Amino acid sequence: MSQASPPISREAPRKQPAALARLLEPLALLGPAGIWLALLLVIPTLLIFQLSLVPGIRPGDVVNPSGLDNYVQIFQPLYLQVLGRSLFFAAGTTLICLVLGFPVAYWIALLVPKRWRNLTLIGFVLPLWTSSLLRSYAWITILRPTGVLNTVLTSFGLPALDILNRDAAVLVGMSYSLLPYMVLILYASLEKLDTRLLEAAADLGATPKQAFWQVTVPQTLPGIAAGCLLVFITGLGDFVDPELLGGASSMTAARLIYNQFLGATQNWGFGSALSMLLILTVSIAIALLLKYGDRNASGV
Amino acid sequence: MRPTVKKTGAKDELYIYTWSSYIDDSLLQTFTAQTGIRVIATTFDSNETMLATIRAGKGAEYSIIYPSDYAVAKMIDLKLLQELDYTKISGQENILVKFQNSVHDPGNRYHIPVSWGTTGLIYNSEKLNPPPQDWNYLWLNQSQLSRRMTLLNDTREVMGATLRALGYSYNSTDPQEIKQAYEKLVKLKPAITNFTSDAWRDQLLAGDLLLAMGYSSDAVAVIQQDARFKYVIPSSGTSLWSDTMVIPRTAPNPDAAYAWINFMLQPSVAAQVAQRLFFATPNQAAHDQLPAPLRDNEALFPPETLLTKSEGIAPVTQEIAELYEKYWTQLTSS
Repeated sequence: MSQASPPISREAPRKQPAALARLLEPLALLGPAGIWLALLLVIPTLLIFQLSLVPGIRPGDVVNPSGLDNYVQIFQPLYLQVLGRSLFFAAGTTLICLVLGFPVAYWIALLVPKRWRNLTLIGFVLPLWTSSLLRSYAWITILRPTGVLNTVLTSFGLPALDILNRDAAVLVGMSYSLLPYMVLILYASLEKLDTRLLEAAADLGATPKQAFWQVTVPQTLPGIAAGCLLVFITGLGDFVDPELLGGASSMTAARLIYNQFLGATQNWGFGSALSMLLILTVSIAIALLLKYGDRNASGV
Repeated sequence: MRPTVKKTGAKDELYIYTWSSYIDDSLLQTFTAQTGIRVIATTFDSNETMLATIRAGKGAEYSIIYPSDYAVAKMIDLKLLQELDYTKISGQENILVKFQNSVHDPGNRYHIPVSWGTTGLIYNSEKLNPPPQDWNYLWLNQSQLSRRMTLLNDTREVMGATLRALGYSYNSTDPQEIKQAYEKLVKLKPAITNFTSDAWRDQLLAGDLLLAMGYSSDAVAVIQQDARFKYVIPSSGTSLWSDTMVIPRTAPNPDAAYAWINFMLQPSVAAQVAQRLFFATPNQAAHDQLPAPLRDNEALFPPETLLTKSEGIAPVTQEIAELYEKYWTQLTSS
């Protein structure tokens, strides 16, 4: 900003504007994003926090923070069970994504010829360009009792599967949605793998299996951590897949929060307390991600 | 959506906020021809969406809104509505007595009912023989229906139906009765494939489901597509619901709103609309004008004996509402 000043800038009267510019520069650069963050993240979060301190608040009530009752309520076995189901879906999805995603990322990073790599990656990320709602509906069509999957199975003389409206369907839907993230992050991590170390391991008598577990995995551990945490965080807040694919037992934290705001009881205070808990859990996961994850790989 | 906000108070314009199933071009054109008032209609897909819009102060252009009965109660609570001036309304005496005094708005001080319906069972008549007649059918035929039935995704409807199956009121406020209903539902739970208010349609039509609990309006739409399906109102009684017309407190053009209400109350208009858009009108005079097949359609207009056993879902205290919600969370998370 001070580049525009003429060569006589060393004169005393010009010092003050320069100092002012130094002060304004970060403001001008960070201001727009700062205002954006404050308006759309900080203030709403504070509002949720304020609401969470009012027991039994309903739309239209005066906000009068008075205690932690809403947080105490979360620790009833009933609600812990709901949170447990959310954790189960998120953790299960993370595990499935890791097991399915690692071989794919390994294949793309190390075995696919370099000129095909980007194309393969794009092919893998392509599903992300469609609506997640659409993808969940597609799974209904595939998994329903007389759907695509069972038509194929029975035409080969195999028994039909009853998957839709069960936990399995939620895990299928969530894993499908989140797998591309895992693959991208693992790919970024595996791409940097120093293959000479694998050659050295082979020279020194390590079997491929030993080399994989003792060289490849430790080197890509930050990438694995980043991928797992990102999938876990996103999975924890998933609303669509449990709602559409999960059937009669698919109450999760996100659906419970929805019910508190738009359902029959309209207990905004309790819903806000649940939201704060979810925000806290995700924040801890992000802190872990920053500490242990592969920052370059995850882009955080 | 319309950029002409400053003109919303114009005497010859009426902004209406409604469900897409309650209006069509022909209706709007007839109104304009009769009154010279141009109608601009915007649609919503759920009461919650409508309430959120109005509460956020974004609905200042509307002079007529179409909330469901329970949403009327909420809007009265939130002081969003203006009391109707019945001296400006004619034809409301044609509304069935049953709908002239809503539990959600005693004395209908704020609303005029437009359409009504029931909650019942939609089933595949080729597969279920003998056909279901009452709520208890679900428990008695649990093994045949196992994982091939859905119930509504609505706490009060599902709990209410179970309460009715036990012989209690759909609107019980007795914690013991509510507990018994929960326990009865737990027994049925393994056979319920999902709680859903709309996703059952495709699965029923595809043959994946044998039976779904649903609203009469949806059932009638499904039956129109495929006559194998039938709708039954359980013989021990069910819930009655209605959709209504109200005038918001902020209505810029109340005169046009009253003109619309009076237009909709005309028996010939109500009959034409019911016939064209296929819903049950609470207007007795309009009902009498309907062609016989529609008038005698028991899915739309159930016999009086059944109606006397049925009741609207009544508002309950916060304490009881939370009790219902708690059992519901328990039911859907285990």
